[in-house]
Amino acid sequence: MSEKGEVDLTGAKQNTGVWLVKVPKYLSQQWAKASGRGEVGKLRIGKNQGKAEVEFTLNEDLTMIDSLGNKPSGVQAPRDHPFTMQTVGGQTLAVFTETQSERISLEGLVVQRAECRPAVSENYMKLKRLQIEELSKPVRLSQQLEKAVTTNYKPVANHSYNLEYDRKKKEEGKRARVDKQQVLDMLFSAFEKHQYYNIKDLVDITKQPVSYLKEILRDIGIYNVKGTHKNTWELKPEYRHYQGGEEEEKETDD
Amino acid sequence: MASLGGSSSSSTEYIVRVPKNTSKKYSIMAFNSGDKVNCSSWTQARMERDMSNRRMYGVEETEEGAAGSEFGKKQREEARRKKFGIVTREFKVEDQPWILKVNGKAGKRFKGTKKGGITENASYYIFTQCPDGAFEAFPVNGWYNFVPQAKHRTLTAEEAEEEWGRRNKVVNHFSIMLQRRLREQERGPDDDDEEGEKGGKKKKKKGGRGGDLRIHDLEDDLELSSDESDSSGGEDGDSKPKKKEGDVKGKGKKKKKKRGSDSEANEDSDDGDFEGLEVDYMSDESSSEEEVGEEKAKSNKEAVPKGIDEASESEEESEEEKQNEEEGKEEEEEEEGKKTPVQTKKKRDSSGESDTSEDSDIDGEAASALFMKKRTPPKRGGGRGSGGSSRTGSRPGTPSIDSTSTSNTLRAAASKLEQGKRQVVGGSSESPAAKRLKMESSSTAVTTQSPAPSGKSTPQPPSGKSTPSSSDVQLTEEAVRRYLIRKPMTTKDLLKKFQTKRTGLSSEQTVNVLAQILKRLNPERKNVNDKMHFYLTE
Repeated sequence: MSEKGEVDLTGAKQNTGVWLVKVPKYLSQQWAKASGRGEVGKLRIGKNQGKAEVEFTLNEDLTMIDSLGNKPSGVQAPRDHPFTMQTVGGQTLAVFTETQSERISLEGLVVQRAECRPAVSENYMKLKRLQIEELSKPVRLSQQLEKAVTTNYKPVANHSYNLEYDRKKKEEGKRARVDKQQVLDMLFSAFEKHQYYNIKDLVDITKQPVSYLKEILRDIGIYNVKGTHKNTWELKPEYRHYQGGEEEEKETDD
Repeated sequence: MASLGGSSSSSTEYIVRVPKNTSKKYSIMAFNSGDKVNCSSWTQARMERDMSNRRMYGVEETEEGAAGSEFGKKQREEARRKKFGIVTREFKVEDQPWILKVNGKAGKRFKGTKKGGITENASYYIFTQCPDGAFEAFPVNGWYNFVPQAKHRTLTAEEAEEEWGRRNKVVNHFSIMLQRRLREQERGPDDDDEEGEKGGKKKKKKGGRGGDLRIHDLEDDLELSSDESDSSGGEDGDSKPKKKEGDVKGKGKKKKKKRGSDSEANEDSDDGDFEGLEVDYMSDESSSEEEVGEEKAKSNKEAVPKGIDEASESEEESEEEKQNEEEGKEEEEEEEGKKTPVQTKKKRDSSGESDTSEDSDIDGEAASALFMKKRTPPKRGGGRGSGGSSRTGSRPGTPSIDSTSTSNTLRAAASKLEQGKRQVVGGSSESPAAKRLKMESSSTAVTTQSPAPSGKSTPQPPSGKSTPSSSDVQLTEEAVRRYLIRKPMTTKDLLKKFQTKRTGLSSEQTVNVLAQILKRLNPERKNVNDKMHFYLTE
């Protein structure tokens, strides 16, 4: 019984209500620094003359703001954050979770939306200023160099790469012709893997000189000039035996 | 918990925790307010990622393995793409949309697309209250907007444009989707579910006009193959509703579909054909009929014509006329929820059983066609009532309107069918037909109509209908003989000769009479172009 994909609907059935709260970036950063059980602050819900008032107070120890590079700046995060309550409206917002094992479960429905706003204070202004300063720094920087850079490209008599290539060529030598039968065997096994081959690839595979190889190919194969497989060689139909293909494979007797 | 002073204010404090290392990732599932989604009413739900975009990002896989592949193709393709600077974006699973299915296969389907940019400037947290009174806040990882997916058929852009051009002519929009479905059936038979649901919905929606009440310059037309939607509208306006109902009983849609598709293709040529030209071979139409007929004749679900068969041929002939009906029926079937294909089969079979010769095949065909026609009107009312799908809202007015307007036509059509049927069909086919008829009749609002057809259990003497009233052209044995002597003709051609306008007969009557005449004449048959032609040598 595959569990995957099956959504656990307990949250929906119990009509669990949750709040969706929009929290400023700096505050969520501070919360990420929480230690222990993760206590970050206190939420005070009050009823003041019929209107609900909700306020969040950040814990003292989480008010140190780190600027870029994790240095403590002189700025402190504001502590008081009244929540602005909003209705969900007609929209149905459900909350679902996904575990690493890909189990999906419905946690509940959003019954209240809120925005966490910082209470305007001196601290907050400083914080904002810090943020703006950091953002206004240009991403790219033009810097004048005192000395020209000379370490990259130097003229060389012959590149090392070229030297290696020449050496390799000499070592391999010209390709030698082997028996026609052997070449045919190699070709047939190659064509078993793919239907179309470039002449260069065949030369690589068989290590035969081009003209000799072409002679053999003219015997058993055809050269596609047009179509999708342009300039490729393939076996003649009577030699082919592909899955879903037609004729029987015939072995050439030489 | 602290409480502040003040007369009308009180507050409680809760601790807020942000748990660390939760293995669960929280996301928001947002529904539109207009969809009225109630999560607590869901009994079960399944949700998976929609991976249909994978190939966009992955390389299109061409054949692996020997045949058709090239050596080093992949590398070459990649090098080529790099050269042109084509950058394909990586396929990230977490960004793919969700597919949510609620309440199993028959329930709703939603597609949830990820909303971008929610974590850019601010973070969303979910605050839940714990048993100990503290709040726990979880960050929201993603926001998905879920929209319901339409299960009913929708038109593509090209189709929509076409239909727009015909908007002045088409009154019954029900058939538009029907035709589309027929066309699709031809391509791939896996629309059953949708059709079923759609059918149910459509019933409510369209109400029973049945095929299209198309405004035609050339009114009658037995042979207009395009009738799936149109011509039926003309004279068959009556029959259309009937057909619909017949369809609902569940005929082999597949068969019909095929026909529908053929007829659809023939639509344009029909106008010209209809002019009553002396043409040698109405190959298009005949073939379409043949195919159609064959399908119908054979098993229910087989969409493949079974080769040339007498039965199928004769079927086509009568079917040509009845095409509209049947297509209408098919449409209805599909749309209304496809019931058992057995129904159609039964119909076909019953006609098949009673037919031993080609002539009787024709009769059988005609009979079954008529039968179907007859079934549809009574059924329509019943079907609509029982349709009860979510489509009700979309066309509130139509059902009621339809039933009242078609009641008269139902009556008339039913009586005609009854008569025609009695004449041509033997006993065996009658009983199932009659039974069905009875069922349908009883289910409709046309109560007065029901006793009449069901009461007619004794077949009327064929002689009653053998002398057609005609004005210009007589549909007589002599005339048919003349035609057949002159050159071989298919039944379709013959029908064309005796157009309803000229003979003053309705299409059903013409079919019946022609069938009888052919039975009497017993012409020889020959296969030309895969079509059965009759001819006489005198």
